[in-house]
Amino acid sequence: MKRRKRCNAGRLLRLSAGLVPAACAAGAAVMGAALGQPATAHAAGKEDVIILRVCNWEEYMDLGEWDEEERIELENGVSILGERPLYKEFEDWYRETYGKEVRVEYSCFGTNEDLYNQLTLGDTYDLVCPSEYMIMKLMAEGQLQPYSEAFYDRENEYNYYVNGVSPYIYRTLSENEINGESWSKYAAGYMWGITGVLYNPEELSAEEASTWMLFHNPAYSRQVTLKDNVRDSYFAALGALKSELLMDDAFVSDMRYQERLGAEMNDVSPETIAAAERLLGEMIDNSYSLETDSGKADMITGKIVANYQWSGDAVYAMDQAQEDDFYLKFAVPQECTNLWFDGWVMLRDGIGGDVQKQQAAEAFVNFLSRSDNAVRNMYYIGYTSSIAGSAGDDTVFEYLNWCYGAEEEDDVIEYPVGYFFSGNNEDEAYVITAAVEQADRQLYAQYPSWEVLQRSAVMEYFDADTNKAINRMWINVRCFNISEVPVGVWLLVLLLVLAALGVRYSNKRVKH
Amino acid sequence: MNKWYFSRRQLCIPYGLFLVCFVAAPLIVIIYYAFTNGQGRFSIENLSDFFTSPNTIGTLAYSFGVAVVTTCVSLLLAYPIAYILARSKMKHKTAVLLVFIMPMWINFTLRITALKEILTMLEGNLSYYPFLNTVIGMTYDFLPFMILPIYTTLLKLDNSLLEAACDLGADTLRTFVKVTLPLSVPGIISGIVMVFLPSMTNYVVLDMLYNSTYIMGSLIGAYFAAYDWHNGSMIALILLLIILIFTLFTNRYADEENGREVHLSGKENM
Repeated sequence: MKRRKRCNAGRLLRLSAGLVPAACAAGAAVMGAALGQPATAHAAGKEDVIILRVCNWEEYMDLGEWDEEERIELENGVSILGERPLYKEFEDWYRETYGKEVRVEYSCFGTNEDLYNQLTLGDTYDLVCPSEYMIMKLMAEGQLQPYSEAFYDRENEYNYYVNGVSPYIYRTLSENEINGESWSKYAAGYMWGITGVLYNPEELSAEEASTWMLFHNPAYSRQVTLKDNVRDSYFAALGALKSELLMDDAFVSDMRYQERLGAEMNDVSPETIAAAERLLGEMIDNSYSLETDSGKADMITGKIVANYQWSGDAVYAMDQAQEDDFYLKFAVPQECTNLWFDGWVMLRDGIGGDVQKQQAAEAFVNFLSRSDNAVRNMYYIGYTSSIAGSAGDDTVFEYLNWCYGAEEEDDVIEYPVGYFFSGNNEDEAYVITAAVEQADRQLYAQYPSWEVLQRSAVMEYFDADTNKAINRMWINVRCFNISEVPVGVWLLVLLLVLAALGVRYSNKRVKH
Repeated sequence: MNKWYFSRRQLCIPYGLFLVCFVAAPLIVIIYYAFTNGQGRFSIENLSDFFTSPNTIGTLAYSFGVAVVTTCVSLLLAYPIAYILARSKMKHKTAVLLVFIMPMWINFTLRITALKEILTMLEGNLSYYPFLNTVIGMTYDFLPFMILPIYTTLLKLDNSLLEAACDLGADTLRTFVKVTLPLSVPGIISGIVMVFLPSMTNYVVLDMLYNSTYIMGSLIGAYFAAYDWHNGSMIALILLLIILIFTLFTNRYADEENGREVHLSGKENM
């Protein structure tokens, strides 16, 4: 079996970027300034250069500098090697394709909330890549610029996005609406995934890991980690709270199952929030830690046995552990899973009605959606691209085969991914023959089975009041309640204060 | 030829500009947000919110607890070290001092990551002792800030005062309690200020050592992540006031002690 080998240079780069997040933005700015200069000089005049301000998650785009030995040779003859940052390569591609100069000012953000706060403070960008709920919030607030009709023209060969996006992702984006407008009008999918549980199969069984109740299970007290953000934690709490209902046969076989599941997982009634607060308190007491990043390392070093994890990070952790012959697995709770995606959206304030700029922004999205670039990003980031490849272009599928395809005749499974590539999971052209353990390891996390996606729900954005209530709930869970202070401590404090006063008073008396 | 020189007032301009841009302006913004509500109208709701919620008050108490314990532990560890270093007649005093100061040169997140592994080895599962771990982490981080000022004060200590105490029949313990300790109070005070204040807000240490309880710093961050700048600013302002009161109090105390020192040395000259 071929093993995915991630680029070491990239890893180092990402490590340093992780340590000094600010350096990422600063570095990009300096690089932009240094490399952008000659291009500007060649252009006819400065005003002809379109400036595209792009803001993306940290470490969320291939920055190139691969070693020659990392070259990916696919069976369909495509050879992929990341030499320069994708946004720099876009500048050249745009010049060759459209004969115009564009300069990308690339910067990074840390969380959706940070990005939103930056926008509120008056930072302007043309193209940003937030998560689905932030896209919904920005859409609802009218901050987004819809994609032009030309962007959806399937006849244009340079429209890599509309020709290459996975039917599954496109349908999800089209079916969901805010104020009567579908998301696909404003957002182009970039990366997507689900949430689940990364676990150590030597310590617990797949059944135990495949439920949100795991985080409430006293058998693994202080050996599991939760996510340190309110949305993921609330989702887990809802899953655990409604566990019985969600796994009930009558509920699952309901005609309107998907719709009802979505409603249950977006339940923000005051009673549910209150119940979630109680449950989350207990879950946190039962957990090892709340983490954003450290859970992967703690899984690999064996400090914990299970870790609430996003699918892409789970793939990364499984890859890393595998290097030490330590085999972690991924489980998706039976109740439901959170389907999430990040997408490119244009900001109305940034574009400002500039048709040329909008065209460049759309071209940027198309460039990233070209199948070889999608593969480069997947290789570099480890998450799953929304791109399946246009008709007749099997690069993405061949990459999957390159990663997971197994040669041996024994111990293999036929893993269908047709739902993603052609929209039909029965499609025999899109079946991967993979090693049997991939059914609950990397392949399963990167391209969840169709059966798993049936029980996936998108968690929508909270409106202002709900947001306030849920965040208040989260703060309550996290804060130390003054009434929890034991009487002994109060007495001790009182004693110390008295002692301090006593010392001061006696000192004064001695002086006089 | 004209000679160019700057007046004192002109030399202040760069710092003055810095002060206006990065101290005064943000402070005004914080005050504005702290006393307005979501609709931009004046409101003291944020203030009453803070003092009526058992959770925010609890967070204040918890931060205070962490800071007080960290400061006490640091003081108890630092004083003997500083004393020994300052009073010893070692040849390579500075080299030994360096050993204690050197950790400051290493990035503190790296140090805490290393500490995490050591504590895991000792405790097994870190999550059972969040408060203890936090105090250890903070002490590890801030100890040099306690050692240095105490060491400097003790180094400046006039030996003749100790000799005088000895001549007047005081034994070593009495000399320490009556002369050395009171004279080192300014060092202790600045050490306390330098340890107490950051340990009230340094939530990175808590995060890294898996203490999921919020302290003041993380609470402010949580409000900002929820786009609630008003409550966040109010808590930042309250924290600012607490620090201000604390600093004023310690300054007054330090002044008192300084005065006594001057007084003493004046006597000596007579």
